[in-house]
Amino acid sequence: MFLALKEIKHEKMRYGLIVFMIFLIAYMILATWGLAYGLARENTVALEGWQTKSVVLNKNANLFMNSSILTKDDLKKINLTDKEAVVGELQVVAKKKGKTGINAQYMGVKKGEFIYKDQDVIAGRRAKSKYEVTADSSFKDKGYKLGDKVTLNGSDHKYTIVGFVKDAKINIEPIMYGFLPAWKELKNVAPGIEASGIISQRKLSVKGKNFKTYGIKEFTQKLPGHSEQNMTFELMIAFMFIISLAIVAVFLYILTIQKLPNYAVLRAQGVPAKTLIWATVSQSLLLVTSALVLALLAIWGTAAAIPASVPMAFTPGIFVATIGGMLVMALLGGLNPVRTILKIDPVQAIGG
Amino acid sequence: MAAIEIKNVKKVYGQGDAATVALKGVDFSADTGNVVLLMGPSGAGKSTLLTIMGALQTATSGKVEIDGQDISQLKEKDRSRLRLNKLGFILQAYNLVPYLTVKEQFQLVDKVKKTGNLRQEELKDLLADLGIENLVKKYPENLSGGQKQRVAIARAMYANPKILLADEPTASLDSERVEEVGRLFKKLAKDDRKAIILVTHDPRLEKYADHIYDMMDGQLSQRK
Ligand SMILES: Nc1ncnc2c1ncn2[C@@H]1O[C@H](COP(=O)(O)OP(=O)(O)OP(=O)(O)O)[C@@H](O)[C@H]1O
Ligand SMILES: [Mg+2]
Repeated sequence: MFLALKEIKHEKMRYGLIVFMIFLIAYMILATWGLAYGLARENTVALEGWQTKSVVLNKNANLFMNSSILTKDDLKKINLTDKEAVVGELQVVAKKKGKTGINAQYMGVKKGEFIYKDQDVIAGRRAKSKYEVTADSSFKDKGYKLGDKVTLNGSDHKYTIVGFVKDAKINIEPIMYGFLPAWKELKNVAPGIEASGIISQRKLSVKGKNFKTYGIKEFTQKLPGHSEQNMTFELMIAFMFIISLAIVAVFLYILTIQKLPNYAVLRAQGVPAKTLIWATVSQSLLLVTSALVLALLAIWGTAAAIPASVPMAFTPGIFVATIGGMLVMALLGGLNPVRTILKIDPVQAIGG
Repeated sequence: MAAIEIKNVKKVYGQGDAATVALKGVDFSADTGNVVLLMGPSGAGKSTLLTIMGALQTATSGKVEIDGQDISQLKEKDRSRLRLNKLGFILQAYNLVPYLTVKEQFQLVDKVKKTGNLRQEELKDLLADLGIENLVKKYPENLSGGQKQRVAIARAMYANPKILLADEPTASLDSERVEEVGRLFKKLAKDDRKAIILVTHDPRLEKYADHIYDMMDGQLSQRK
């Protein structure tokens, strides 16, 4: 550690640049990953919030809730508990006078259901009557206010936003929570049609002539574009991750190789190889750790400063993988030259 | 007792057609309390001999004893420990750690060799003797060649080795400094009972030597 620290202290510029470079790499990994995950999460965040385990949909809807319909008869065949919520989903364009429309998912629910009760209201209140809605907070970020009246798909009736809710997003679109009667009106359904589907917090396995239960995994994979997008993100991040980690390892390796002539002298003077190995490894770890601390601070600042319309989100796994991967590379980069250090011929030090 | 005893040492570099015989059966010994010079033309084998008695490399054949211990069979790890504890080197190139100040060069010795180093006042005297007491805060890059050489001498002596080996220690010193360093070597040998072996081309050191050997084509002959 003595040698590692003194060397950094003496060559501040050089080591500052190295830390800066590793910082940039760590920051790039975290930012890209956070953005990708933030976007991917908007596909499913509402479903997760509802703690969905299974979804009942019309058999012929191809797992697409928007085109699924359940009839009164269908619903009768299903034993509904407080773990199920009957919902009517409709793709809508919400438009306030003088503003451009926003694509949203109208989600008609029932007052007694968990989806209605569990809304994470951050401003205003839950809807009470047919033409009231709560909207995802992104509406608020786009300048909508409590009390604003909007038309949905050019409806005659205006809908009043009475509350904003957090994490109400499905398939990258904001949700507007309202009621099933309003959904029927908006969708203009035939008599006897009651809902789009059922969200269940249990692992249901009901089946009927018209409907089928799907596990949440199957359902989310079929969200339009979702699995394709995830695949792209995963590959993109995997490539970036592997390549940048390799860069870090190679960089630290070069750094250590440059010390070898000097180490020959120290070996000649009897300084144990152990001391020199520890000097390189501890230095690698120190540089990477400082860079990681900076990257975490920077990403924290970025996530706070970035506009809400660009979602950035993280799981503990993202941090663990980035930090772990970087530290392992530090070890590899620092340890790689160990064989070389052990094989240093101290005679070289004599130089003549 | 001889600090270093070498009997019939041969050293061959390389193999077959490329083989170079650097030492052709050399006998040599140096006692504590003596300054011994190794002189001779370039390529004669001086550095080779110095590195063999400095436990930096092994002889092809023959016997090498340091402080009574046969080192020809030692593993590198044990040779390293021997170098740390008994030998001091003043080397031609890369003598000092570039990113340590003069003072820290000594601290590094303390880190790896916990006991038997000079006490602080002894170090102070040594630095004064070498005229480098004002340079302790400087980095090697800010020292002149001669100053570096003297710091290297101080560093080697700081570990208080029994045997001091130097390759061209006066190469970049002016005449006055050469005389001072010569006197210092002599004083260290006599007062501190060290064996000091110097490879040099510098005839100005001859008057401080107890013995002088000439190396020629891998063979050694004693002049004094
Ligand atoms: N590592 C090596 N591999 C092969 N040959 C070597 C090696 N080191 C030295 N030699 C050869 O051994 C002989 C003795 O070299 P050595 O370095 O001991 O000479 P020297 O007396 O120290 O010369 P100088 O005064 O130039 O430093 C030379 O012929 C040299 O070319
Ligand atoms: Mg030489």
